[in-house]
Amino acid sequence: MKKTLNFCKTKLLFTAFLLTNIALIAQSNQEISGKITSSTDNAPIPGVNVIVVGTSNGTTTDFDGNYQINAPEGSKISFSFLGFVTKTISVSNQTTLNISLEEDSNELDEVVVVGYGARKKSDITGSVSSVKSEELNAFPVADASQALQGRAAGVVVQSNNGGEPGAPISIKIRGNTSISASSSPLVVVDGFVGGTMPQAADIQSMEVLKDASATAIYGSRGSNGVILVTTKKGRQGKITVELNSSYSVQNTANKLDLLNAEDFVTYQQQIRTNNGNNTPYNDSGFDTDWQDLIYRTGNTQNHTLSFSGGTAKSNFYASGNYYKQDGVLINSGFEKATFLSNLDAQVTSKLKLGLNLYGSKSTKKGVATQSTGANGVGGGGDDAISLAMRFDPTKDITDTDGNFSTNDQIGDPVDNPYAVASQRTDNTKEDEFRANAYLEYEIIEDLTFKTTFGLSTRNTMQGIYVPSTLIVSASAVSGRASVENWKRSTALTENYLTYNKEIGKGKLTALAGFSYQRNLTERSLAQGTGFISDSFLYYGLESSTGFLQPESQYTEVEIQSVFGRLNYDLNDKYLITATVRRDGASNFSENYKYATFPSAALGWKISNEEFLKENKTISNLKLRASYGLTGNPSIAAYQSLALLSTLYASSEGETVPAVTAEQPANENLKWETSYQTNIGVDFGFLNNNINLSVDYYTIDTKDLILPNSGIPAYAGYLNDEILGNLGEINNSGFEISINTRNISNENFRWTTDFNISANKSKVLKLVNDADFFDDGTPSYFSHDRSTIMRVGEEVGLFWGLEYAGVKNGATPDGMAGRTGTTVDGDPLFVDIDGDGAITDEDRTIIGNPNADFNWGFTNNFVYKDFDLNIFFQGSSGGEIMNLTNVQLTNGDSNTTQDYFNNAWTPTNTNTDQPRVGNNSNREISSRFVEDGSYIRLKNIALGYNLPRNVYEKIGIENIRLAVSAQNLLTFTKYSGLDPEVNFFGSAGNNNQSTNTVNGFDFGNYPTVKSVTFSLNLKF
Amino acid sequence: MKKYKYILLLVGLSIVGCTDLVEKPLGTLAPDGFFQTSQDLQTAIEGSKTAAINEKFWGRKLSIALMLRSDMVNLQSTQERRVEMDQLTTLPTNGMISEYWIKSYQGITAANFAIKGAESLTDANKDEVVAQAYFMRAFYYFHLVRQFGAIPYLTEPVSDIDAALTISSTPASDVYAGIISDLEFAEANLPATTNAASIPSAGAASSYLALVYLTRAGNTPNSPDFTTALTYAQKVINLGNYSLDTNFQNLFNADAIDASPEPIFALDYNGVEASDNAYDQIAPMAGIRGDDRNDGGGWSVAVPTEDVFASFDPLDYRTEVSFDQEANIGGVLVDYNNFTISGHEHARNTPYIAKYARYPGFFARGSGRATSHNYSMMRYAELLLIAAEAAVETGDAGTATGYVNQVRARARLGGDYKTGADVPMTFAPSTVPADLATVTVDDVIEERRIELAFECKRWYTIARRQLGDQVFSASGYEGAKVGWDATVDYLMPIPNTEIEANPNLSQNPY
Repeated sequence: MKKTLNFCKTKLLFTAFLLTNIALIAQSNQEISGKITSSTDNAPIPGVNVIVVGTSNGTTTDFDGNYQINAPEGSKISFSFLGFVTKTISVSNQTTLNISLEEDSNELDEVVVVGYGARKKSDITGSVSSVKSEELNAFPVADASQALQGRAAGVVVQSNNGGEPGAPISIKIRGNTSISASSSPLVVVDGFVGGTMPQAADIQSMEVLKDASATAIYGSRGSNGVILVTTKKGRQGKITVELNSSYSVQNTANKLDLLNAEDFVTYQQQIRTNNGNNTPYNDSGFDTDWQDLIYRTGNTQNHTLSFSGGTAKSNFYASGNYYKQDGVLINSGFEKATFLSNLDAQVTSKLKLGLNLYGSKSTKKGVATQSTGANGVGGGGDDAISLAMRFDPTKDITDTDGNFSTNDQIGDPVDNPYAVASQRTDNTKEDEFRANAYLEYEIIEDLTFKTTFGLSTRNTMQGIYVPSTLIVSASAVSGRASVENWKRSTALTENYLTYNKEIGKGKLTALAGFSYQRNLTERSLAQGTGFISDSFLYYGLESSTGFLQPESQYTEVEIQSVFGRLNYDLNDKYLITATVRRDGASNFSENYKYATFPSAALGWKISNEEFLKENKTISNLKLRASYGLTGNPSIAAYQSLALLSTLYASSEGETVPAVTAEQPANENLKWETSYQTNIGVDFGFLNNNINLSVDYYTIDTKDLILPNSGIPAYAGYLNDEILGNLGEINNSGFEISINTRNISNENFRWTTDFNISANKSKVLKLVNDADFFDDGTPSYFSHDRSTIMRVGEEVGLFWGLEYAGVKNGATPDGMAGRTGTTVDGDPLFVDIDGDGAITDEDRTIIGNPNADFNWGFTNNFVYKDFDLNIFFQGSSGGEIMNLTNVQLTNGDSNTTQDYFNNAWTPTNTNTDQPRVGNNSNREISSRFVEDGSYIRLKNIALGYNLPRNVYEKIGIENIRLAVSAQNLLTFTKYSGLDPEVNFFGSAGNNNQSTNTVNGFDFGNYPTVKSVTFSLNLKF
Repeated sequence: MKKYKYILLLVGLSIVGCTDLVEKPLGTLAPDGFFQTSQDLQTAIEGSKTAAINEKFWGRKLSIALMLRSDMVNLQSTQERRVEMDQLTTLPTNGMISEYWIKSYQGITAANFAIKGAESLTDANKDEVVAQAYFMRAFYYFHLVRQFGAIPYLTEPVSDIDAALTISSTPASDVYAGIISDLEFAEANLPATTNAASIPSAGAASSYLALVYLTRAGNTPNSPDFTTALTYAQKVINLGNYSLDTNFQNLFNADAIDASPEPIFALDYNGVEASDNAYDQIAPMAGIRGDDRNDGGGWSVAVPTEDVFASFDPLDYRTEVSFDQEANIGGVLVDYNNFTISGHEHARNTPYIAKYARYPGFFARGSGRATSHNYSMMRYAELLLIAAEAAVETGDAGTATGYVNQVRARARLGGDYKTGADVPMTFAPSTVPADLATVTVDDVIEERRIELAFECKRWYTIARRQLGDQVFSASGYEGAKVGWDATVDYLMPIPNTEIEANPNLSQNPY
């Protein structure tokens, strides 16, 4: 059974009410009752809206489809429910009205939320994907964005740190349209721009706006697409109480096959022998599996209790959610409590008020993963995951003194992974609150004014304590603590007029508005070293004896905008949409304060033309085309101003104030602009049992902000990246969605949803068209170029040496070994410049992390009270740079069984793995590039609705039990832990690295497999 | 009408939102109007000085690069950028060059801001204050010109990026002229002495002028620069503001150095783990793996060879001060023949550099990082040796011999020190090194090598005296360096990114 889109309902109610409020005449009422059933299976339909047309008098059917309403004779009653054709019946003198509603097979009358309004799906001219509540709640997620993965064509969703509880989720719509600025879409929650995602259980629907026709109304923030989130609202009728509870058990999806202690010592001795080093490796005498030590069985519980209901004049929805996850990595976890409420009140016939409230509180217990190598510990010893792969297995957790053991014979000293995972405290506590009130007033017929005013605040505190028990990282300084606070707040008001009018054979909708937004960010960081006791954690900083510089910052951004949209539908055949937004923003540079973003779109409902109207096969055919401009604000606050920077300096042993030049003014810096074209076609076949949408798009993003490599370091500014609007990239691709109703009868229904998308991001212009490099390796790898942007190529290709196998005898022509003497067993590389040596000139493009296709495939089966959902998700054609193997074959680590067994030796010469101890310098070469394609059984769920007679008497409306499994199966050739990789190099997960550093695998929190049991109760 | 009230209210709300969109940052400074008093100048001068203490400059990258390039320090780790330095195969992409190049120019730019800012000030003491900026600018350019020769030479902050993009390299001779002129201004305006060696003084300016002229003289016999070098050096000697410390160990003891009469110019480290790596990591770079000292021991990266150690006389106190010959490793006292008991792959059975790890003073990070050791950039012993070298070259071997013997006499005094195993010792007065009857240029250079061992001076001496063919041959202390090429290796390549940014710059062959 489909759920009502609440927006639709309120709108219907409201419209009906508006159109007929003149016709209010006192008449004698009579009580009418009846039962509403589905014409397909005669099953009762609960929740149908029953309204006396032209009045505010209405009700909804109960669970058995029964209703009762008072209606005057001669009036009309309308029966509406999403997914069914609305029926309007004139009341004569009958007291019973049993209605059979026909299923609306084409779903096209569904209303889709668009920016500052809603449109019938069939009237949409842009490219919009809707994701429904059921899909978002198929399995428990900490962040509703995660549930989007595989659900909407052209939308790629990825955790920024594997299965880490509370990890940030990155969403990219139609690829990245920027290099240095964010490529994340704008999220709008119930009209609040930049709101955070509510819990999945509270979301009625998500609309993903993909083309300029849909996003240009968001102007300078529309380039990366827009996700409109609509939360649930109450509806008229009795109060519904619903409880959703689930419990999941989780394990790591995978472990690496590494050497045991004995093989490890042999391996290290071999390395030393090969290097002519006669220092013997000291076997510490234990055999520790560090991976086993840091992982455990994790679990997640997720509970939502909601109340909703309403009268003819008001409705409410209120819910509370509790989510708690104990991660599979010891000491990691995430806990969040969320409240949400939506109130709407029809104050007078013309005035409507509403309030949306959201509050949440969360705590993330973090464990250091994804080492950037920059966390104050040499050799990347700050990351439990990669340490567990690297660390000496002959060591015990503690040494003979009872101290945690350290890696002291190879590479830089590092703490052991168990110590890092268990000893460090890293808590992030976040409180969030958002209130958004609206007032809607019908000024004259067809013209309404809506104003919203909202405030949101998000306060985050991250406390980190590294105790003195961590020998390498903190014992010398007797503990290291930091407390970082972020306070982010937004005030937003949106004010707009909407005008609806039928003009001749056409329908006109016009929108005009003004908006003002102010975002404040304040940050402070206090830190210190040297504590009396580890028990202080990061509290009691005043007792620190080692000084670390405190920091604090303030930024303010103001945005004011005007916007408008015109829709004209002629004859229900020809659709025209035009939008424009003009944004002014304080963060824009002095000479470019205001930006204008127009768009236009055309739609042609061919199936409404005479020649197709009666066609039995084609039930729907619509062509859509749009073109428009959208922007990416891309300039941070104060980034275009001339600034001095304050520095630490020491004089006569005292810390003294110091300044130097930070950056010169950059008065001409502009936002980035995307020129987007979208062409789409929607097909419906066989009474819309098969729906197919195909979209083609091309997005040229110009004025990309890049550091002008024309600014030499000798200019001496502290900020060596002086920016200009210097780049251009093009994204083009297609998206196909197919929804089919394969079988639908009384007892059995089978539906299939499939979506697939292909995106190519191509670099068109760079600074002087010179190659632009970035790096995806941790800093202790000592590389600075491992990805490349090159004009004419795809974005973020791997850059390194072309591996040519192992030297075995004379070095073949065209190849060479690394600098220095090369002996048999050493790796060879293609000597591209032919100078007989491997130098920087021999680096080349060695791989492409960008997937050719991303897809999702869902099958739903309903048999009587059972339902089964099988959801596959996949990606193909992308490559992975396996940095884990780079580190594990470097010699200063444990290694894989595979490398140990297959490395070149004088007796094992037929191999492509170089000898151990070949002094690889963590070389980035094609040897470590692997195919990252995968197919994943993302979710399989079996649900059962208990027979109603079991619990009907105790007032329960519905009980549903389900068991499901997530990530149960993954098919991939990738040799690492998981093909969904997300390591961003030494810079960490920032705007630029998420655009240019893709496909690197190192030290991610592992992806987890889980089994979930869930219960749904409705009262 | 009721409805208009609402509309008015809404219009009102909208107007409240109107704004001029001008940014008003808090907590940052704009350059316009910043310089109001000479105190503001001092703030920018500190901004210039702090670039030098950074890990990217003296804190590690430059100091280690200079050690590795010399003939006295081997590389134990395998990091490519360090291999390139050690083996003299340095490429324009070298990750050490790129960092200290940037820091040098950041220091220069801060000095340029101060110098520019002083123009509009009327404070009576402005010249005395801003003279430090001239000194610092010369300090950075002197490092750059010795390493790169012709370089971009800027004496004003860059305001027009496009103009800055097209400048050509300034020939080394002109850079030297600029350095000399800056140091002359500094010498004329700075106080004769200052509260601390890390605050530039007229004496420091004179001493640097002596070294600059000596460097510019190079190997040119009878160069008038030798005479000028001698004049400046003797000016300092004759003023008598500096003298040799009676205990050679005090020069490498963070807690004793500040009271020593010997440092002429030093960098100021105060044991703070400052942001942007504005602290030093030299002690662990040169330290022994598994060493029980300094909370985590050393990293065994820059390590002398056995031949270097053998070239020191065991009866010379400076040998004890310059080398750690024993250590406690994992609680076991071992001599250098057993340093590999740590089991570490980079451990080496050889004496280690002791001038950094032995007395780092207070330090804020494990392994002796972020110390409070004010490293001498110029000390009186070096000044004497500059004077000696210049004197020999100008034909006054007698005066030169006197200066060299002063240095040797101090070494004979011995003194209190401790071993690498933290055992307090006293080195009794010795007969070694004996006074020399007369000195040649080679004698002075050899004295520099011993006296200033591991103080990052040796490479510059090799370069200015063109000693490469001799010291990097098979008979050198490190054996033959594979990459040595006398035609290109006295200068390092300029970072490739700079050449890419401005093709008008000239690249050195490499």
